[in-house]
Amino acid sequence: MNPSAQALQATFGNAIGRVVDARGETIVYVTAARVRDVLAWLKQTAGQDYDYLVDVTAVEYRDRERALEVVWNLRSLASRRDLRIKVELDPRGTLAVPSVVDLWAGANWLEREVFDMFGVTFTGHPDLRRILMWETYAEGHPLRKDFPLRGRFSRSEQVRQALNVNPEGHYSLEELAIAESFDELPAEMRDRLARGQRDQIANSE
Amino acid sequence: MLEPYVPWLILLVFVLVNAAGMLILSHFAGPRRPTPVKLAPYESGMPPLGSAHERFSVKFYLVAMLFIVFDIETVFLIPWATIFFGSGAPGGPGMGFLLIEMLVFLVILFVGYLYVWKRGAFQWD
Amino acid sequence: MKHLETVKGSDNWLTTKFTALVNWAVNQSRANSLWPMPFGTACCAIEFMATAASRFDLARFGMERQAFSPRQSDVLICAGRLPFKLAPVIRRIYDQMPQPKWVISMGACASTGGIFDNYAMVQGIDTVVPVDVYVPGCPPRPEGLLYGILMLHKKIKGEDLFDPSLRTEHLLNDKGLRLPPEQIDEISEPFGNSVHQFRSA
Repeated sequence: MNPSAQALQATFGNAIGRVVDARGETIVYVTAARVRDVLAWLKQTAGQDYDYLVDVTAVEYRDRERALEVVWNLRSLASRRDLRIKVELDPRGTLAVPSVVDLWAGANWLEREVFDMFGVTFTGHPDLRRILMWETYAEGHPLRKDFPLRGRFSRSEQVRQALNVNPEGHYSLEELAIAESFDELPAEMRDRLARGQRDQIANSE
Repeated sequence: MLEPYVPWLILLVFVLVNAAGMLILSHFAGPRRPTPVKLAPYESGMPPLGSAHERFSVKFYLVAMLFIVFDIETVFLIPWATIFFGSGAPGGPGMGFLLIEMLVFLVILFVGYLYVWKRGAFQWD
Repeated sequence: MKHLETVKGSDNWLTTKFTALVNWAVNQSRANSLWPMPFGTACCAIEFMATAASRFDLARFGMERQAFSPRQSDVLICAGRLPFKLAPVIRRIYDQMPQPKWVISMGACASTGGIFDNYAMVQGIDTVVPVDVYVPGCPPRPEGLLYGILMLHKKIKGEDLFDPSLRTEHLLNDKGLRLPPEQIDEISEPFGNSVHQFRSA
């Protein structure tokens, strides 16, 4: 049992649900409202130092009465300890948890994958869009249990939609050309690009 | 008088006929079916983003030009070296004279080298 | 080629023999130096590399010059499964190959979607590009791929240089598909074990 579990129970009290020891690995269930504080505490506290976010993922069980769990796998490199934090959400309700991109930069793509596959919104994420499927994928979130294995559209419709995707539509030529010097741009130009207003240069498709 | 060169001439004619034949035959035998997508630039299967007319830094041109100049200088040094050690024969120019001549040549080019150095053309970044 | 294509009108012994000779020469040249564009996505690409390596040499078929640019290739070998996300890429690469061009679909996934009968995989690249030879296997052994290549050689050697219909560009139609939707649905139908996988809701 990871000693961080007791430390969490001592610090956060009733925000911590059950603590499970699964074949030598420690799993701590946390309420959704406090999960960001818990994760920040685990990263920033001197004795804990969970500086490596191994994975962010989600689980929906076959038993439809069970909750949909969002899972953070953490590792402390200095003390060589692993910890798993889980939040339980109602699979038929709104799926939203706070984003931890400002704590661990690697969470950027990990959270995008969970959003793409499960539809969990990460509030505060700077760029939440699909990552495995294409950005305009319209059939839903593939790893949900109510998503049929072969997708919702007919095969010909899937082929047609796939062939009509512009894979580089997200980036404009202006953004790519100035990407290296982004930090030296004037502030109003950065704001304009961040808002999604991009100048069209004639030759880009 | 020119007999040793006849095989070379035959080879040259053969090569030219071969190359021209390949081009002409493939022009006539090859199907030509241009489509808009086929004529678009190849970018690993993605729609091309932007034009291909990138601007190059001028330092590439400078390095190439300087290389040519100092390479020509070296080219002049080589035949000079072949006659330098054969000099000293009576009636020809003495070794000292040849040496002074070449040094004058080198000093002139060295002044140019100093100028280019001080102007910063050797700075890559 | 237009003026040569009208030679077929007059049928006497000389022109027949002439067209036969020209056909033979051109088809031999095309078949014996097929420059492949290896569109290797997955495990079949490893078997393709094995076929190109020393034991099952591809160089003896004239295919050692692998063109990773479609501009200089004759045959597009799709080795591996094709996700829907990669479908516009292979379509574009196929469109950018100059005529004459052929396509070999190597492996079960490229031919029919293989074991991946799901939301993310194209159920056979023939829904996206026209295919000349299908090589089954998961992955096909190098001998299998070589058999497919020899089959393509046979196809090329049976072609008629003066037949323009062989060299038409098969573009996408105005609906953005290569085949009518019913035909795509029909060739994507599950078969074998896939028939039992219909989990939904």
